[in-house]
Amino acid sequence: MTATATGLPSAEVTRPRTVLVGTMFASGAAFMAFIGVVLVYVSSRAQAQAADIEWIADGTVELGPSGFVFATLILSIFTVQWAVQAINNDDRKNALVALLLSALFGAAVFNQLWFIMNDSGFSLSANNAEFMFFVVLGTFVAFMISAVGFVTLTFLRALIGQFGPRKADSVAAAAFYWNTVVAMYAIAWYVIFVTK
Amino acid sequence: MTMTDSPPATETAPAVSSPAVAGLYEALTTTDHKSIGRIWLKSGVLAFVGAVVLGALLGFERLDADSTDLFGGENAFFQVWALYRIGLALLVAAPLFIGLATIVVPMQVGSTNIAFPRAALAAAWSFLIGTAIMVASVLATGGWGAVDQASGDERDAVALTLVGMGLVVVALLLASLCIATTVISMRVRGMTLLRTPVFAWSMLVATAVWLLTLPVLLANLLVAYVDLHNGPGSFGGGLSGDLSIYAQIAWVVEQPQVYAFAIPVLGVLGSIVPVAAGVRAARHGLSLGLIGFFGLLSIGAWAQPFFQPTSDAVVRYDEKFVFIAFGLAAILPVVGALGGAADTLFRGRSNVDGLPPAHLIAALGGAVLLAAGAAAGVARVVEPFELGDRITVSGVMNLVLFAAIASAMAGIWFWAPKIGGHELSPMIGRAAALSVVGGAVVLGGAQVINGFFETSNSPLVAPVEDAADALNLVALLGMLLIGLGALSVVGALGKAMRSDETGADDPWSGQTLEWSTSTPPPAGNFAQAPALVTSEAPLLDEAPEESSDEGEES
Repeated sequence: MTATATGLPSAEVTRPRTVLVGTMFASGAAFMAFIGVVLVYVSSRAQAQAADIEWIADGTVELGPSGFVFATLILSIFTVQWAVQAINNDDRKNALVALLLSALFGAAVFNQLWFIMNDSGFSLSANNAEFMFFVVLGTFVAFMISAVGFVTLTFLRALIGQFGPRKADSVAAAAFYWNTVVAMYAIAWYVIFVTK
Repeated sequence: MTMTDSPPATETAPAVSSPAVAGLYEALTTTDHKSIGRIWLKSGVLAFVGAVVLGALLGFERLDADSTDLFGGENAFFQVWALYRIGLALLVAAPLFIGLATIVVPMQVGSTNIAFPRAALAAAWSFLIGTAIMVASVLATGGWGAVDQASGDERDAVALTLVGMGLVVVALLLASLCIATTVISMRVRGMTLLRTPVFAWSMLVATAVWLLTLPVLLANLLVAYVDLHNGPGSFGGGLSGDLSIYAQIAWVVEQPQVYAFAIPVLGVLGSIVPVAAGVRAARHGLSLGLIGFFGLLSIGAWAQPFFQPTSDAVVRYDEKFVFIAFGLAAILPVVGALGGAADTLFRGRSNVDGLPPAHLIAALGGAVLLAAGAAAGVARVVEPFELGDRITVSGVMNLVLFAAIASAMAGIWFWAPKIGGHELSPMIGRAAALSVVGGAVVLGGAQVINGFFETSNSPLVAPVEDAADALNLVALLGMLLIGLGALSVVGALGKAMRSDETGADDPWSGQTLEWSTSTPPPAGNFAQAPALVTSEAPLLDEAPEESSDEGEES
């Protein structure tokens, strides 16, 4: 074999952080898909405003409940990072508690978003504003479901002892994806609930 | 073993009597990147033939703009036209490069397999299923909108087209993720990113750009799909004489985004030319930089109608500085890469004798086509020409996408021993390369010129000047020439598949790690782990006096 004829020692084929790198690429793609939907919302709103059409009527979308969703997600950032830190310190008990808490925060977010959607009284087919409201939040819910699934799977794998200080990539990957989804909500929150 | 670890690449098929069943079992369960890559390549080659057939039919139809008899109505004519354009990018160019990369990139970086092989297999099959759904639904009166008021069945068919296309995009993204991760995290020790082989680097850039831009296409499809079912009908779901779904997603096959499908053209060129010249490529780092720059200029998801308010007060996206600057600058890295190739060939001229190999002709032809496409793209963005809605747009698309196809052909001929264990006929290869490149020049050139005669890009608008008919005929002849090339490719591949003769391990005196393994490569790619890599062309490196730089790389 020519390569070994150089006289240099054989190199080991290593797989450093493959799961984390793959998750970063996947997170980037997911983020761009979400941004694509949000920009359609922004563009449609700009068109409506240019034509003097009311976009979302005052009082229909409250800032309060959506702020609670955001606060819940910010808390969850600390819990997923707690899980990463714990697994790096070989503290499986803390890692399990942190992952479980993160998943529970995710479930709480679903509950709050369900309330927001019902409370708005919007209809998908009513007009562009209400349609895009549901499309943006629905897309976020889909990504949130995948993040909760990822964290739950990581929790189950941690439960059966698949991770440790030298094998913590999957936990870091789950945390990275979770944080990406939180960033998605931050954008949606600002665009839909703050600037409306 | 954790759930994300790769299973051994040497799985054994169950004992079955029928070779067909065994082959199907292998194709459905394999985790060997070479088998997965071959699925992509076969699909891409078949789609290439299909696209050329569609292109020829569309060319015949455009010869007589008053008649739409060939397709049985304006709507079907429009949808087939749209299928040809979208198919050429998503079903031909991208899968051909993904297939090549799935096979070659792991070997080039010294890895035993691709990252996430089961995901790569899932991507290949999802792609086939998505393609079948998309093509079948277009043939069943679906597509990307409707010229007339759509019936209930037609709405369902349009929805199915969106689902099929969405599945195709997801599959391309998943395959891209596997390739990009392989390059980033599975390189052999000593192979820094700056020492990455040019083709592997170009695939890293291409897949990164696809991962950043194709999800936006997915978002477009999602909005249109939901609108179609339950929305107010303002986002393409109205379907009352409305082609806005196609208008919305057309950015994928128009500049600057269309360049993203041709990024690996520069990688194939950079891999083949130094080997053909028998010298080391100069300024490897500059080559990588040019490819990265071209990738940056091909990010085009922002140039689409959804992000374009209709108010007259707002400047259209194709009149904005960024769009014009991207269009003007895109030719620079292509010309730079061609200049580098010319320099390499000049330095190695004493090593080249006889007829040039087929892969060199196709690689150079592909790069020249890309340069021609980028030059036409410059004309497209120069405002006084007003070519934005003219057929010049199709000319740019055809030049760039056929550049990608010619380049993929070069890759198939070059890496054939590693792909299927056989070398491909050089004579057929030369004929196929000349046919495809020549045909694409004629086709794309005629369309670019036709734009200056005010011929619309829409197939439903009749030409306004007599010269347009003559140029449409020239374009059709170009497409027929490409068809000859496509048939030649199929013939050469069929001949090789029936051949019992195994190719040489390193027939071209290659410079990168894939040529250090046997033909066909064994499971796991390398009988012995590759040696420490100390340059971008490890097979040209001589043994150093002492291995003092062993710990240099991470």
